[in-house]
Amino acid sequence: MAAKLIANLLIMGSGILGRAVLQAYRKALENANKTGVAQETLQNIRRAGRTMTEQEARQILGLHENASWEEVLQKYDTLFERNGKMGSFYLQSKIHRAKECLETVYQKNGEGTQGTG
Amino acid sequence: MRRFYEGGFQPSMTRREAALILGIRESTPADKVREAHRKVMVANHPDAGGSHYLASKINEAKDVLLGKTKSGGSAF
Repeated sequence: MAAKLIANLLIMGSGILGRAVLQAYRKALENANKTGVAQETLQNIRRAGRTMTEQEARQILGLHENASWEEVLQKYDTLFERNGKMGSFYLQSKIHRAKECLETVYQKNGEGTQGTG
Repeated sequence: MRRFYEGGFQPSMTRREAALILGIRESTPADKVREAHRKVMVANHPDAGGSHYLASKINEAKDVLLGKTKSGGSAF
């Protein structure tokens, strides 16, 4: 009899507690959405993982600020080929991504990217 | 063709990234690390048209793998 009562109380109590936790969680999510903290963090993570900054791309290819598209291609070709022969696939990837990054930058600036091949 | 790795270099170099840069395993013995470093460095030497940035990354990779610096201990 007493055991049954205690069990009932326990079940009811845990149910209430569970609902409260759920509500608190929802509220926290809502607040995070309102202030945009969640989005910002997510975006930062994505940005850091997926893309390269223009500055890093230039550093990787060893180019100065106002190098022409021709120079970019020339650097890319030599570095990519050399790292294919004696370097590593990882470095080759970075060189490829650097060129990709600069390609969009140059296209936006309206400098012709003809003859890209 | 293998898929290229995404994005740029990691903000602070890990042993894993260092091994990828030199094209070896994390468990590679020290003499083989030096050998791989020399090979990759020849391909990217600044005096022969390579970039200073990549050269510094390659040197850092060697140091990380040989345990000369604690990972993430870069001054920059």
